Amino acid sequence: MKRISLLACASFLQGADSSGEFSKLVEPILVRDCQGCHGGTQAFSNLDLRSRESMLKGGSRGPALVPGKASESLLIQALEGKGGIEMPPGGAKKRLPPEVIAAFRKWVDDGAPWTPAKISSKWTYDDADLWAFKPLRPFDRNKRVDDFIDAKLAALGIKPAPTADKRTLIRRVSVDLTGLLPTPEEVEAFVNDKARDAWPQLVDRLLGSPRYGERWARHWLDVTRYADSGGYSNDFERPNAWRYRDYVIRSFNSDKPYAEFIKEQIAGDELYPGKPEAVIATGFLRAGPWEHTGMSVEAVTRQLFLDDVTHSTASVFLGLTLGCARCHDHKFDPLPTRDYYRMQAVFSSTEFARPKLPFLAEENHEDPRSAAEIKNTFDYAKTKVSEYRQMGAKKLMEKYGVTKTEDLPKGELETVMNNGAGIPPDEFEKFKLYQKHMQIYKDSLDRFEPKAFAVSSGPMDGETDGGQQLRYPKRAAYRAPVVHILPGGNIQSPADAVSPGVLGLLEQYGEYPSPKIPETVEGRRSTLAHWIADAKNPLTARVMVNRIWQYHFGRGIAADPSNFGKMGKKPSHPELLDWLSGYFVEQGWSVKQVHRAILLSKAYQRASVNADAKFVQEKDPDNAALAIFPPRRMDAETLRDSILQVSGELSLDAGGPGTFPQINEDVARQPQHRMGSLAPVYHASALKRQRNRRTIYGFQQRSLVDPLVDVFNGPTLDLSCERRETSIVPTQSFALFNSQLTHDMALAWAAKLEGRKLDRDAVVARAFVEAYGRAPESPELAASRAYLDKMTEWHKQTPPPAKPARKSVIHKITSELTGQVAEFVQQGDPDDYEANLQPSDVKPETRALADFLLALLNSNEFVYVY
Amino acid sequence: MSTKSERNLTATPSRREALYGAGMGLGSIAFSAILTADDARAGVLSPRPQQLPAKAKHCIFLLMEGGPSHIDTFDPKPKLDQLHMTKFQKAVNKFEANMNTGERYYVKSPFQFRRAGQIGIEMNSSLPNLADCVDDMCFYRGLKAESVNHPTALYHLNTGNQFGGDPAVGAWVSYGLGTVNQNLPSFVVLPDVAYPQGGSANWSNGFLPPHYQGTPLRPAGSPILDMTPPPGVTTSRQRAGLDFLKTLNQSHQQRHPDHADLAARMESYELAFRMQAEMPGVVDISKESKETLALYGIGGPNKDADALGRRCLLARRLIQNGVRFVQVINMGWDSHDYIDTAHGVRLAALDKPVSGLLKDLKRTGLLDETLVVWAGEFGRSPDNGIRRGSTAWGRDHNANAMSVWLAGGGAKRGAIVGATDEVGGSAVEVVHPLRDFHVTLLRLLGLDDARLRYLHAGRDKQLSQVGGEWIPQLIG
Repeated sequence: MKRISLLACASFLQGADSSGEFSKLVEPILVRDCQGCHGGTQAFSNLDLRSRESMLKGGSRGPALVPGKASESLLIQALEGKGGIEMPPGGAKKRLPPEVIAAFRKWVDDGAPWTPAKISSKWTYDDADLWAFKPLRPFDRNKRVDDFIDAKLAALGIKPAPTADKRTLIRRVSVDLTGLLPTPEEVEAFVNDKARDAWPQLVDRLLGSPRYGERWARHWLDVTRYADSGGYSNDFERPNAWRYRDYVIRSFNSDKPYAEFIKEQIAGDELYPGKPEAVIATGFLRAGPWEHTGMSVEAVTRQLFLDDVTHSTASVFLGLTLGCARCHDHKFDPLPTRDYYRMQAVFSSTEFARPKLPFLAEENHEDPRSAAEIKNTFDYAKTKVSEYRQMGAKKLMEKYGVTKTEDLPKGELETVMNNGAGIPPDEFEKFKLYQKHMQIYKDSLDRFEPKAFAVSSGPMDGETDGGQQLRYPKRAAYRAPVVHILPGGNIQSPADAVSPGVLGLLEQYGEYPSPKIPETVEGRRSTLAHWIADAKNPLTARVMVNRIWQYHFGRGIAADPSNFGKMGKKPSHPELLDWLSGYFVEQGWSVKQVHRAILLSKAYQRASVNADAKFVQEKDPDNAALAIFPPRRMDAETLRDSILQVSGELSLDAGGPGTFPQINEDVARQPQHRMGSLAPVYHASALKRQRNRRTIYGFQQRSLVDPLVDVFNGPTLDLSCERRETSIVPTQSFALFNSQLTHDMALAWAAKLEGRKLDRDAVVARAFVEAYGRAPESPELAASRAYLDKMTEWHKQTPPPAKPARKSVIHKITSELTGQVAEFVQQGDPDDYEANLQPSDVKPETRALADFLLALLNSNEFVYVY
Repeated sequence: MSTKSERNLTATPSRREALYGAGMGLGSIAFSAILTADDARAGVLSPRPQQLPAKAKHCIFLLMEGGPSHIDTFDPKPKLDQLHMTKFQKAVNKFEANMNTGERYYVKSPFQFRRAGQIGIEMNSSLPNLADCVDDMCFYRGLKAESVNHPTALYHLNTGNQFGGDPAVGAWVSYGLGTVNQNLPSFVVLPDVAYPQGGSANWSNGFLPPHYQGTPLRPAGSPILDMTPPPGVTTSRQRAGLDFLKTLNQSHQQRHPDHADLAARMESYELAFRMQAEMPGVVDISKESKETLALYGIGGPNKDADALGRRCLLARRLIQNGVRFVQVINMGWDSHDYIDTAHGVRLAALDKPVSGLLKDLKRTGLLDETLVVWAGEFGRSPDNGIRRGSTAWGRDHNANAMSVWLAGGGAKRGAIVGATDEVGGSAVEVVHPLRDFHVTLLRLLGLDDARLRYLHAGRDKQLSQVGGEWIPQLIG
């Protein structure tokens, strides 16, 4: 294997160095292996190895260095594993090579002269680990997906599974492309369509459905961590973030060229300043959790943003994990710390903005009912706050013996207005609660305003956005802040300043030159965006087609879609990955064309069962060669949407501010701290057409994820989710078999079926077709009849429970002022809440049918897709 | 995703060892079996051997949310009596939060202190029952946090990462050791009246498989979400539904004989039904003796003590029933103003429940194998700022000094480790960052932070994030 050494290009050779040993041999090791832990104010054992002085001062075990006496120096003892210390940690295996230790010994014996050089890189890489950075193989127009798949199967001697039957295929591709089940009518039409192009016609119909964008946007939002709130202590709403979510849905539906999609998200504001769509797209850059309060440090929260956006851009578009390079040169990939901070410098002039941007014709921004409800709640909180302030002012006037607020000593009234001074301690928690609610609902009112959750290069005077605590300079006086390398990621010990730049590895290995990034306020991100969204960038197309492949087959050609470096799994079909990338570019970066190339392949249409399962299992245990189509459990959103769909309750209303689905009531009522007080109670949307929308339109609150989505491996919203897990845990059974939602939906489904006025066997048959896309077999029909008889009898004997009474919600908080528990009555459901159908509304036969349907919703055949 | 090769545990027992090694009942075999299909992906909950010899098998983590004041609890500072109300200016520093700058004044402790135990620790006199236990406890005054912001500091204490998203300590411990009773969750959280800032991210499984997620048990209603079916669903109706579901699933399975997940998913319904049957008995404290209830302050006049006492007693019952890690959350220590009342009420509510837990664990022999940890997300400042228009005797947040303590589970018995400066502003002896405390907790539970790793996003992740050292003075 060819090894490439970076030694020759390492910058430390340029450093002035009289003795040579230190800067060539000692300092690089100190930087690489030691200072990550022993550097900065949080140094391990209080030992800071970043200067001779700090070494002499030493740490909790005493001085690290005795100049001239290597054997007496703790540093040397640790490197040699003597005296009970072993460094770097990890035993003899991790010990530095003897020649390095000898160099350290000699350096100490020479008196430990300290002549620092620059931060350096000194690494070697295996050629095979650099595959992703190399240019794409030339595109061969005459090949097809199956050529690559079949070649590998043939090489393994595996005979692939036959084509799946048509019922299986339509269920597979409908869930895959739209996240919904095919209707019985769609199934029958496809099964009976004898045309040769029935399959490509079906694929095209689904790709043209608005439901397609709702499904595939969800994948993208997983990777970018979209949420409607900021996380941390207040988890404040991001009232206009939904416009980014809808932007992504529209982009998939309109098959926006991927290169364009990239440019808009990274630099839409710079590249297309007059185009609202492109400015909305930059919401991508702010998608991570972020908050700044009076208790956080501005330098820290700014750095948090810069690190987040650097990681996110690299992992989402380039499939690189840069996290390691924040503190030290990446240990596995050619990503020096310097490159990390150069890329970070691209964002140094990126400031938060909330510009006014007119709504687009295709945006659904009106929701008069919730707008009115929020306004009422806000006004109520405002009135209460004002009452408490009057109470406080009155107490203060009594204290000072005055009758008018104007007569209070200077500054006293402000303390009432801002801090609630004068309010008695036992009322104070209520004041804080309403003050918090005011703050929260004020943001919520902004949902309906034509603003964008976006960025700008340099601050936009008057339209900045980052909380009242951040101080922005005026645009005229603004200079892009200089970015420094931060060894160990420590903002308190900046090293060299860097100029903005791109990652050097593609120039080095990929024959793709690095552009010069301007040091002006504007133009940094556009240059980066052009560099990424370019056919010559070997990572960009590979990463995206691999993601698309993964969502179709459950596993990427390279199985770690956000890590194309050494630690990521190598591609199972490297030539196919390159061919698809070439095809993608050739087709004008059309995502839908890539879908077609994949979906029309034989590989995609195979059955999930192989006649020779044992042999295949032995030869290819992970099914990487794709001899069968891998079955999958529905992901959380598909599961919820499909349950609502078969029940007849799904609302296809699309777009606009997030709506609030029905969630577990204990979770909805759970009191949750917000800085200084409590969050309001979670209320499901009053109207069914709002709360029963597709899951993607649900309001994404970082601190309150729908437990149904959570338990079925939904994404965390804080971390980029490159692939959903499908674990099996008993709490999933509780969520599907015991929850109010599934019981309600089963009952609604029962009522819907009864509306068809069919006999009992036909009802069972219809339910099977709706849930599974097939008719029941006779033993299944018999078992269903028996169960229905049994439950009908049971329900005839057992009266249904009474309708649940509307309850107000009691919330408690432990007051930090008094240490006592304070109680609040929080608002329950509004008067016009459209209730779900209740067992007491229907006949015993309908309740029995609902029991039967609940079992269907829980069955393996419903939740697995073949 | 974890595969066996990615697990950096020293020894991964074979399935057979895992199943028969720990004398488990039928239920546990069933649960392990359901994971067969998924275990390459998701890891298993079966018990695993410790990586290092250690006494602790369980951990009860008493999380004091808000940041209890070390100065007013276990680390008194008489010097503050002299400095009381002395004003000074703290310059604006770009690495300090606004909260801690500007005009400030020193605040003496409003509490009385006493000397307790053989170790002679000076501690707040309003903890008379806890004073009986100090010779079993190890007080540590050298710990430093990094953030003075509640959510980031809480995430840091609970997950090792200030910015959230990583697995909680209890998730790491469950991942490392598995659990004994497969019918109960391995990591249980007993929240206070409200969830803390940051919510369930404080007990997240992060990137670890969801089996390791902390399960909050609710004090009323369904202890686990949806464990109790809606009104009107009786056991017999539910059983009939499960039986019919099984019929549907069996018929389907015949058509997909090679799809291993199907059996696993079918079994998970049976396990859920068993959990539903077993959990109410575990959480029912009515069978405990009157004397035990009183020991925890349950049924006494102090309502807050009663509530915390119930959680502490429940923690003991969960440990006894094989739960690996229990986190008890006690909120409301954020006393910026009037610390005499605010902390006073907290301390009065703390004394019996926590001392009761230690005494009960000791007399039942569980203390040797149960590590009890008491910690908040940071300590408090010796000084205060002007708020609500006047001076109020409270304290702001302080990441440079705090008091935490350990008891049982191989922690040093009867020790005071480390020290803070004369006003309690900063730790000055046996100073360690939080990650070293995490490494120490893992070590007490027989886990080696350096080897307890999980490959995520191309990086081998660990609780301490970047590695750390254990604090030998805290280990017995």
